[in-house]
Amino acid sequence: MELYRLTATELSRMIHNKEVSSTEVTQSVFARIAEKEPEIEAYVTLNEEAALKKAAEVDEKIAKGDNLPKLAGIPIGIKDNMCTKGLRTTCSSKMLGNFVPPYNATVIEKLNAEDYVCLGKLNMDEFAMGSSTETSFFKKTKNPFDTTRVPGGSSGGSAAAVASGEAVVALGSDTGGSIRQPASFCGVVGLKPTYGSVSRFGLVAFASSLDQIGPFGRSVEDVAMLYSAICGKDPYDTTSIRREYPRFEEQLSSDVKGLRIGIPDVYFGDGVTEEVRTLVMNAAHEYEKMGAVLVPVTLPKPDYALAAYYIIACAEASSNLARFDGVKYGYRTENYKNLEELYENTRSEGFGEEVKRRIMLGTYVLSSGYYDAYYKKAKFTQKLMQETFRKAFTEADVILSPTAPDTAFKFGENSEDQVKMYMNDILTVTVNIVGVPAISVPCGFDSKNMPVGLQLIGDKFSEQRLLNTAYAYEKQIGGFDLSRALAHSADIPQKG
Amino acid sequence: MDMDIKRLAKLAKLKFTPEEEEKYAAQMANIVAMVEKLPDLDASGPLIDPDNPMEMRKDEVVSRYTRDELVANAPEVQAGCIVVPKTVSE
Repeated sequence: MELYRLTATELSRMIHNKEVSSTEVTQSVFARIAEKEPEIEAYVTLNEEAALKKAAEVDEKIAKGDNLPKLAGIPIGIKDNMCTKGLRTTCSSKMLGNFVPPYNATVIEKLNAEDYVCLGKLNMDEFAMGSSTETSFFKKTKNPFDTTRVPGGSSGGSAAAVASGEAVVALGSDTGGSIRQPASFCGVVGLKPTYGSVSRFGLVAFASSLDQIGPFGRSVEDVAMLYSAICGKDPYDTTSIRREYPRFEEQLSSDVKGLRIGIPDVYFGDGVTEEVRTLVMNAAHEYEKMGAVLVPVTLPKPDYALAAYYIIACAEASSNLARFDGVKYGYRTENYKNLEELYENTRSEGFGEEVKRRIMLGTYVLSSGYYDAYYKKAKFTQKLMQETFRKAFTEADVILSPTAPDTAFKFGENSEDQVKMYMNDILTVTVNIVGVPAISVPCGFDSKNMPVGLQLIGDKFSEQRLLNTAYAYEKQIGGFDLSRALAHSADIPQKG
Repeated sequence: MDMDIKRLAKLAKLKFTPEEEEKYAAQMANIVAMVEKLPDLDASGPLIDPDNPMEMRKDEVVSRYTRDELVANAPEVQAGCIVVPKTVSE
């Protein structure tokens, strides 16, 4: 068995037992990157030299008999919107094309404390604005199950790298579905944690009240392990919440007897394809076989959430992105005669189309005369949705739905119609608006042979229950099938 | 819907060609039509999370970075200072 195919949990055990070295694991993953990267294009920046140096350090510590944390020596990919000291962090934008952070994001400090190996920085939609990774300034990441299709977004690089074996696990960020939807499109597991459970310090801000960093993996246990390493209160993020965070992977249980699983009708309605609906309901029936109970729950229509989401997200983005002015860091135009021109030309040349569109929408909804009609209304919608979810969680322990209405689409298919593109997020944005956690888990393939994702939504800070519920399904079906994505290109039978 | 693209661009410190302006006006009209779906809701009261009050850290000066590290990303630097166009008239 080649090392790049193994999970972080297996590799961690093997490294600690000295069955393999971190150097061997890291070399195997870089060999896999060399093989697949020309086709997949998941990375913006590779960190090979430093990664191998770090792996050698870990091996030395292990040889000395040091007791190391679980992620020690595990090669991990990082979405390119998290600051890594000394390693270029671009947000897949021309605006930050040459930005080398002088500090680490808190999640990176936490992974460093675990002695992780940083593989490099993963491609994404520019400033995390998109659902296909097509808005990246640098490259188009391909879906490892079919390279004519998108990997989803905005954390498309993270999902594609984990699915194809170009990373063992990865970090992504989720503002409206940016972890769950690409996880669903690429057949991997992705967790969007409770808002406030992971520090956002050093995450380039898109919509601060919705953004949350979370893990990707090929198994639920890997996702639990990576999540345990990054969560916790951080004095540098006032929105992070102080509480006890356990090691989630140590308490995983596949017992779902008596678990009440809520089925919201409105999440299986218009726009959701018949195949997705069937596969997700099949998974729900698997839970019944394991002793869980399906109960109907009433949730608000997801199109209200989508509207509220785009108002809040764009409003916050327009003010967050005001900092990119060509003065202190990032891109600066060469064409200017005065300060006003420096600002306007830097921003017009440095930002891509989708980013400009969202800045404009955000500026519009916050401009005088429109604030009450849009932003305030969206915030009220958010408040009512939080109440509806609170009520739903008295009737159900977790809520089950599809992650996305359909499987991965082809490149360019939705690029010209923004509203159609935004509909990709219709089943995921509510979770961000409400601030609760959700996990996407693979639940089979459609007739195009593309992965379908099942979304489990929990109440605030119910990550353990969500992970357990996902883990039970993984055990029940005997693990997730990533064999096609992890195979060598020459071994895949050609179609037709 | 009336949307003054020129004025919004000015506020957002962005510049568009007339063709781009036309394209943006059309695209944004579609997006605004989507977000206008929101019903009129009655949900008065404060929009805060009472369960999780913000916890501020002590405002202490900690030396985490050197000046050189911080200006290393600036597009133009002279004598440790960031260079910008003249901001006041003579």
